[in-house]
Amino acid sequence: MSLIGIDIPRVDGPAKVTGGAQYTANIELPQMVYAKALRSIHPHARIIHLDSSKAERLPGVVAVLTREDLTGINPYFGPMVKDQPIVAIDRVRYVGDIVVAVAAEERDIAEAALSLIDIEYDPMPAVFDSLEAMQPGAPILHPGRRLGKTESTLMTNENVISVFHLDEGDLATGFKEADEIFEDVYTTPKVQHGHIEPHVATAFWEPSGKLVVYSATQNPSMIRVHLGEIFGIPQTRVRVIVPFVGGGFGGKVHLRLEPICAALARKARRPVQWLLTREEVFLTGHCQASVVKIRTGVKRDGALVAREVKVVYDTGAYALTGPTVASNGGQTCSGPYRIPHQNLTSYCVYTNSPPTGPYRGFGHPQVCWAYESQMDDIARRLQMDPLELRLKNLVQEGDVFVTGDKLTSIGIADCLKEAAEAINWEGKVEQAPRELTGKVFGKGIAGMIKTVMPSSNSAAIVRLNADGSAVLLTSSVEMGQGTHTSLAQIVAEEIGLPADLVSVTFPDTDVTPFDRSTSSSITIFNMGNAALRAARQVREQLFEIGAKAMEARVEDLELSEGFVRVKGMPKRQLNISQLFRAHFGAPIGSLFGSFDFQTTAETDPITGKGKTTAFLSFSACAAEVEVDIETGKIQVHRIITSVDAGKAINPRQCHLQNEGSMMMSLGSTLFEEMVFDNGQPINATFLEYMLPSIKDHPRQFKSLLVETPHPDGPFGAKGVGETAVGPVEPAIGNAVANALGGIRIRDLPLRPDKVLAVLEANLWGKK
Amino acid sequence: MRIQITTTINGRARELLVKPNETLLEILRSELHLKGTVEGCGVGVCGSCTVLVDGRPVSSCLMLSTNVEGKSVTTIEGLAQGDRLDPVQETFLKYQAFQCGYCTSGMIMATKALLESNPHPSEEEVRDYLSGNLCRCGTYAEVLAAIEELSKKPEVHE
Repeated sequence: MSLIGIDIPRVDGPAKVTGGAQYTANIELPQMVYAKALRSIHPHARIIHLDSSKAERLPGVVAVLTREDLTGINPYFGPMVKDQPIVAIDRVRYVGDIVVAVAAEERDIAEAALSLIDIEYDPMPAVFDSLEAMQPGAPILHPGRRLGKTESTLMTNENVISVFHLDEGDLATGFKEADEIFEDVYTTPKVQHGHIEPHVATAFWEPSGKLVVYSATQNPSMIRVHLGEIFGIPQTRVRVIVPFVGGGFGGKVHLRLEPICAALARKARRPVQWLLTREEVFLTGHCQASVVKIRTGVKRDGALVAREVKVVYDTGAYALTGPTVASNGGQTCSGPYRIPHQNLTSYCVYTNSPPTGPYRGFGHPQVCWAYESQMDDIARRLQMDPLELRLKNLVQEGDVFVTGDKLTSIGIADCLKEAAEAINWEGKVEQAPRELTGKVFGKGIAGMIKTVMPSSNSAAIVRLNADGSAVLLTSSVEMGQGTHTSLAQIVAEEIGLPADLVSVTFPDTDVTPFDRSTSSSITIFNMGNAALRAARQVREQLFEIGAKAMEARVEDLELSEGFVRVKGMPKRQLNISQLFRAHFGAPIGSLFGSFDFQTTAETDPITGKGKTTAFLSFSACAAEVEVDIETGKIQVHRIITSVDAGKAINPRQCHLQNEGSMMMSLGSTLFEEMVFDNGQPINATFLEYMLPSIKDHPRQFKSLLVETPHPDGPFGAKGVGETAVGPVEPAIGNAVANALGGIRIRDLPLRPDKVLAVLEANLWGKK
Repeated sequence: MRIQITTTINGRARELLVKPNETLLEILRSELHLKGTVEGCGVGVCGSCTVLVDGRPVSSCLMLSTNVEGKSVTTIEGLAQGDRLDPVQETFLKYQAFQCGYCTSGMIMATKALLESNPHPSEEEVRDYLSGNLCRCGTYAEVLAAIEELSKKPEVHE
């Protein structure tokens, strides 16, 4: 029986229900000390005086790390632009920027030491709004720093890190052909990842000069690369180990704590552990706030003819992957539609805010909020069914997308239809006017297209033991998505073993091969492919050994349930142990397979077009809401998402990923928003920043899977980790607009006060 | 300065020397190496550090260790009887009511406390009771389903 498409139980279940799952903070090492950081209280300032001598003398303090300690290493790091210092050097760029780090015998000693540090700042003008940051004369965060090949004419100043642009057809012609033109501005706020496990790392140096780091990271292989660069040591002298990770959602993709832990540990000559407080997590990463200006030309019959989109992503004080987030969002900011004339531009901009980095959805949800909200405005004005309007304009199998990608495995139409059907969508009726008294109800739908990380390497090693058990060596991180289970299924299927005889390693860069990252919904596609092909090599070796031992031709053999047998001759078979004996002379040893699966982008340097993504993700959401006209409160009664999984290896895990995406998006639709006052964080704890709780869980809540197998995916699979994140926000927004007779809020989140304000402005004010 | 306290942890009497400002969570993790209880927010909001003190759920990040003098503390490690999982653990496993697992210990302990005090809760009561246990992976549907099954089993609540 095939293991693919089966809900085999998760291998990490017993550990997780008994408290036995090991997370990074559980690692205790002899002589370990604890780190704390002194953070900037200014959003932008020069450091004019810094004296840590009193802190150094405090009993129990073992190391203090300041800018004076950065000599002999490369003090700046960053995945795309090396703009982030390990600790502040000449200036601080956001409230929370790290200035000094202390390691001490106990956490409260480290905390006490921070108050003994003398520091004097010279405050500088700061900028918090991404549009203001782009203006000439705005305070510049990183004078002289830039990403290489960008279009200089669009770079208004040095706060603009990157610009991404795509053109299709001729925009002016398109708008000339249009019967109606829609122009709106949508915004999304800064949102916290909210992984319940805070960032945490432990580092120590072996006497040989090798750096060992335990980290709650999504990206062990690249952490190793970057730490090697910072400390000027070969990668082989950096070892990164990742136990279970307590949620990532993009927040744990990049170097965060590791350089400071490593630098402190080098100075202290002892292992240093650093576990962030929740307040610090809020200062460490979040989702890029965005401003999306979208202008669309449409024919009276609903055909989209022209779309111009400008998106500005606020990447915060340091670039991290901001430029890629912006280019990914730029690629899909016109939506999953055929539009002959397009002009799409996205910007990545510095502001004096905490750094961002990837966030579940990687730039796509921000633009989906805009294009899918506007689609409903278009449908309303043209008096069309919003579903029909979408279906009429959707991309189709074989189309060439605006990015230049030839489209294959396009489940978007099915996603939309199934989600709509699940809420008993009534077509044009959904756009009917409502009487705005008491409680009003509405339905909404939305769909999303998403690209994934363009260039990537994922390598896997499969080792088969003589007893017929196997291990997959991989640097993919288990952070809740069930990757240990689904990858085991793939290997077991290929070698014909029961899934419970395949174990999957935790990342340990001394042992497990390179993986670009556990992010971007690529693990099942990229690492799944690597694991499959590594397993295939083992399978082929078993066939060769079997053919020789049984004097048969390879093509006459089959492999199942731990036996290689001659097809149609059930008695001519050898189990794995016997095959090992035939090969090695005794049932010992091991057979290996290894494969490095690569995806590469091939784009034209001028047009930016070509192959930009290994696969495209599609999803849709349908929602039903109730809006209280008196209080402005929105209650979401039903959310259904439908996601194209290619082929679901373990459907239950796919559903869980979708459900998680839906709950996260529910929060960012209705109430999640990081608030700042002149750069000072206002709600940086879970007391003030609410995550959705079980009380917010909609009563009717369902994930649907559409399967359009991808020709390059392992067994046709595509990743689904973040695919359902995007369409939830506009689906709820559309349901609210539907409930309010077309009155729309364009700025997330949809707080009650905003509902009352738009009602006031649009309705009561006019009476 | 250290204070001596006598307390029962997972059924075993313990004498511990604690600092006056040390939380129960710190003692459990650092002193007793019971790592199944974890810190998420440090302010008693996320519920991931939930343990039972005399059968009642508390956020161990907010309770001073001196407050468990003479009391009985149960952590996630104290639920199973040898190899036999507690019915709450078994049912969470069956419904796969976890993803990353970081909030799971707290969620299970809160569920245990709920069912001890109210063996047959309505869905509304479950939602109210567990609203202080956050799961960012969003596995609430499975938690609700698991507890629905548990609430039908009389033998869960000895």
